[in-house]
Amino acid sequence: MSRIGAWIVRLTWLFCAATPAMAGTLNVQANLADREPFIGAVVTVRGETVHASAAPISAILDQINLSFVPDIVVIPVGSTVEFPNSDSVSHQIYSFSPTKRFQLPLYHGRPYPPVHFDQAGVVTLGCNIHDAMVGYIFVTDATYFGRTDARGTWSVTNVPRGIYHVSLWHPLLRDSVASLDREVTITGDETAQTTVQLAQSLRPAPLPASARLRDRY
Amino acid sequence: MKALQALLVPLALCAWVPGIAWSTDWELSADMRVVDSDGQRSLFDGGFGALRYDSEHDGVQVGRLRAALTQPLGDVFVVKLDASYWGQDDIHPVGLTEAYLEYRPYPFDGWRTRVRIGAFFPPGSLEDTAAGWSSPYTLTNSALNSWIGEEVRTIGVEGKLEWLGTRLGHDVDLGVTGGVFGWNEPAGTVVANGGFSMNDFQTPLPLGYVGGRGSRVFPEQEIFHEIDGRVGFYVGAEARYLDRVTLLALHYDNRADPTAVDLAGNEAWDTHFNSAGVRVDTPSGWTAVIQWLAGTTTVVYDPDTYPFPFHARFALISRQWGRSSLSARYDIFGVSSRAEYDLGDEDGHAWTVAYIFNQSVHWRFALEWLHVTSEAANRVLLDESTLARENQTQLSIRYTIGSAL
Repeated sequence: MSRIGAWIVRLTWLFCAATPAMAGTLNVQANLADREPFIGAVVTVRGETVHASAAPISAILDQINLSFVPDIVVIPVGSTVEFPNSDSVSHQIYSFSPTKRFQLPLYHGRPYPPVHFDQAGVVTLGCNIHDAMVGYIFVTDATYFGRTDARGTWSVTNVPRGIYHVSLWHPLLRDSVASLDREVTITGDETAQTTVQLAQSLRPAPLPASARLRDRY
Repeated sequence: MKALQALLVPLALCAWVPGIAWSTDWELSADMRVVDSDGQRSLFDGGFGALRYDSEHDGVQVGRLRAALTQPLGDVFVVKLDASYWGQDDIHPVGLTEAYLEYRPYPFDGWRTRVRIGAFFPPGSLEDTAAGWSSPYTLTNSALNSWIGEEVRTIGVEGKLEWLGTRLGHDVDLGVTGGVFGWNEPAGTVVANGGFSMNDFQTPLPLGYVGGRGSRVFPEQEIFHEIDGRVGFYVGAEARYLDRVTLLALHYDNRADPTAVDLAGNEAWDTHFNSAGVRVDTPSGWTAVIQWLAGTTTVVYDPDTYPFPFHARFALISRQWGRSSLSARYDIFGVSSRAEYDLGDEDGHAWTVAYIFNQSVHWRFALEWLHVTSEAANRVLLDESTLARENQTQLSIRYTIGSAL
């Protein structure tokens, strides 16, 4: 390529990069049935025409005071999750979810290799020793993902123009996941906004760990 | 029993041998009490008082010294041993309250199984959910569970099958339990001869008893004997709505031959009962428990048959905030008798109020007031009034250490 040609490519790239019309911002607002913010909902975003999974990551899901911390981990397909067990007691983690079936004894002071998740879906975790423990791994093939904050919002920037499908998930949902899907069009540099309103109340959340600790066996 | 000991003692010893055992969990606790009681002579001293501590046994007392061991054997087997000393005079030595081997495979496709072999409490207590089959709400058990602690123990095999619906996106978990057992033919002798009592005592294995050694009216009643060679059974069911509501039901029948007596003079009591209850827990720290039990124990003194129908039920409400909880419970209990002079006949009710402060995982402080009003025909044998109004106040300080604390 000639020097002039190279400059043309560079200038074109700079022009495109500096053109805000090529990418926009997507804001998602999730509300409970009573219109209060839906905190901690898992949001996934997929492009209708161009679709690429996010890059795999290495995540950590700890065991603290007989609870999974955090209670939900969202990971792209192909990621690994480590279970370090910060409790002074042993755990026996299991999943019989079709997405990933596994059994993992976690004896205190012994490291165990991370678990690999190669299929999209929900993995419900339990402990074979401590019945009340429950946790979730949400394995997604979406391009963008995250969880709503204390105001029930989640946003992503630099989203290329196009049509996108926004989905919501949470373990306590009574609404069907399909009924919460939204289609959003990113047209340019403006911010696209979509609101997901639950029709039904959530299932009751598990009792706090402090309520269970007095039954500690 | 000897076979059981032969199985469990070496397993327990393995736990302390470096290199063989790993992931051993252990716990030691000492629960000391200061007691003020105006109670009549208690069951543990050969009387018919309804309290654990009578007026002769107040002051500083040993509530319970406990040692517990959990020893996994590989991934799916675990041995659990629970030993206690109750400080009840010198007649109840250290003994095991539970000792069993559990098979606990990982759940599969939403189903979970558990198999236990050894000595343990059958399922069915909505109250005694804390360590060592104790109550997290009060120091003293309900009359219902006091009786279970005194007389009922599975020495045998139990299987449990659960459907873990909440792990499959549903709101309900379901479970069924079945057990077969021996060495529990004397169960019923205490409730028929001594009536209900309110305590936190658990008759220790293998040779524990209730009653007063040498007492002429209520001598020691050894509980864990095989007398007639017949196998008892129980079946139970459990349903849970999320972690908020638990329903339990149990049918127990020791299938004893009520005419049987062993060479030592221990009698077989044909005892069967049904029990059901519900517990509700709320996120704001409230707990409510209601439990009901009714059954009959029968003995035959040829040519006469003596059935003793008995019943006990309670309602408990508890509020937990932070490290503190305040609980109140109302108990009703009774035994009917067709024996001469209505001996064994009893009716009673009780109020319990307890405040518990768990300062840390090591220290627990508790203050409990208990009042029992009961009418027991047997008290005429001690020239006592059949009607007794008894009060007991206990201050408890418990210190616990353990591998997991």
